[in-house]
Amino acid sequence: MQSGILRPALATYTALFLLFLYGPMIVLAILSFQSIDGGPQFPIRDWSTYWYQHLLGLAESSRVSQLPVGESLVRSMMLAFMTTVVSTILGVMSAEAFRTKFKGSGPAFYLIILGMMVPGVLVGLGMALLSNTLGIGRAWWSTSFVLHVVYTYPFAFLIMLAIFNRFDRTVEEASLSLGVTPAQTFRRVTFPIIFPGVLSAMLFSFTLSYDEFARTLFTAGRDLTLPLSIYGTFSVEIYPNLFAFGVLTTLFSFTLLVIYGLLMKRFTAKASRFSGQEDAA
Amino acid sequence: MSAFSTDTLATSAQTAESPALIRERKDRRRALGLLTPGLIWMALFMVLPMVMVVYVSFWTQTTFAVNSELTTASWERFLSSPTYLSAIWTTLRIWLIVLVLTILVGYPVALFIGLFVRNKTIQTALLVACVIPFWTSFLIRVIAWRPMLGTEGAINTILLKLGVISEPLTFLLFSEFSVLVGMTQIYCVFMVGPITFMLGRIDISVIEAARDLGASFGTVFRRIILPLSLPGVMVGSIFVSVMVLGEFATAASLSGRKVNLLGNIIVSQVGSLKWAFAAVAGVVLTIIITAVIALALRLVDLRKEM
Repeated sequence: MQSGILRPALATYTALFLLFLYGPMIVLAILSFQSIDGGPQFPIRDWSTYWYQHLLGLAESSRVSQLPVGESLVRSMMLAFMTTVVSTILGVMSAEAFRTKFKGSGPAFYLIILGMMVPGVLVGLGMALLSNTLGIGRAWWSTSFVLHVVYTYPFAFLIMLAIFNRFDRTVEEASLSLGVTPAQTFRRVTFPIIFPGVLSAMLFSFTLSYDEFARTLFTAGRDLTLPLSIYGTFSVEIYPNLFAFGVLTTLFSFTLLVIYGLLMKRFTAKASRFSGQEDAA
Repeated sequence: MSAFSTDTLATSAQTAESPALIRERKDRRRALGLLTPGLIWMALFMVLPMVMVVYVSFWTQTTFAVNSELTTASWERFLSSPTYLSAIWTTLRIWLIVLVLTILVGYPVALFIGLFVRNKTIQTALLVACVIPFWTSFLIRVIAWRPMLGTEGAINTILLKLGVISEPLTFLLFSEFSVLVGMTQIYCVFMVGPITFMLGRIDISVIEAARDLGASFGTVFRRIILPLSLPGVMVGSIFVSVMVLGEFATAASLSGRKVNLLGNIIVSQVGSLKWAFAAVAGVVLTIIITAVIALALRLVDLRKEM
């Protein structure tokens, strides 16, 4: 579209917007290299990796206590893993169900979608009240876990629904009517088509659960997850070790994203090689 | 196999049902079977807790506990307390301002990515650039505004160096301003995404036809682009609204306790074991969010847009 000044103006605006999005993180990353006697603000007294060593427990003595992230990191990973498995399975099953038209599909759809809409602080409160009343102890692997699935399952469901919408059912039927067993049909026909969706659903579930804070706050009980440990440090004075931690978790998330990208690429490359063979024949 | 088919034939002849009908019923039963675990999960772990919140809001609050004797005392106290009522007002005000800000900030970006960039690769790259910050922890993104906005933060340092100001600006951090800036930055992408998606679907030849017929860009925008992008704005508004209304972490860590949203009330009440009051605040929040979503759903069919 040509409209003179508008295009460069919007391009500049978008660049400024990206600066707005990334600015705080860039500043945070710069300040994470603050020296030992520097605070969580400018100026940088001296560049150092002291706060990274401090975070990893390698710094010798310090006026600042170490961030309590070790055990909570393991808990968060396990919680995210459990959530990923359950919400992906539920998501695939529900989306598969929605390929058939049935009465009450509208309310069922909205009931599932509600899970990503309801504020975490509300379901968290409700779950805490419920477990108090029933006398069930609250823990990250029980009360928090079920709430995390309530949150991530709608995402997995929507992703799988989008995949199934583009998936012609007759392909499966052709395979079945040619005498291929249902198990073989799933492995050779259904699974390759839905695999990119399953991978995306897993990525979403894992990252959402790993970072989930509001749903965990009232339901985790005594043992904290990673976001809860971070939140605990907010009320006291913050130090650059928190910034160093922010940089490291971001790098970790990017690693996950890269693994996802590689798996996806490998899979699509395999799929295109397969269709290439067909063309040759 | 043959025994099976004659058997089916016999039954269908008996009840005068076509095989298609039988299959349809079998499919429906299978669909319900697949759906049941998910729906049970949602009923037990989402609907039941929410019902519990409503129920407990009518319980009797003693100093450190609640008992299930029904009373409206908590409601009366909530609705007659200026602190709690002002929290409702603050929540609504912050929500509206952030919603408007995300639309104002996000729409031009969406316009550029969705309509002006026609190269698919650049378009995807720009969208990915918008989404990447989401792979940083939410709490870290909130706290990242502190070294940015603080009195010795990046913005004040730069402005002082440039000579624009002679003293650091103190309203930037621990104020309503910092909460608004933080929330706009965090939730803006949920507005940019849906609007970009809708704008990307506009057939460019429609716009070209309008321009050929002599329409100015203003007219094209008002008559074609804006109406076609409105469903995106609505979907984005739903996302931003439910997230901002249920917020408490941004206000807790950036406002210096100057901004108290309903979410903050719930957290502080739970902290002091006032479960019934927390439940009342929860019900009020639920009512507000339900009203907002209901209003939005009257304007847009979510199922059709996704």
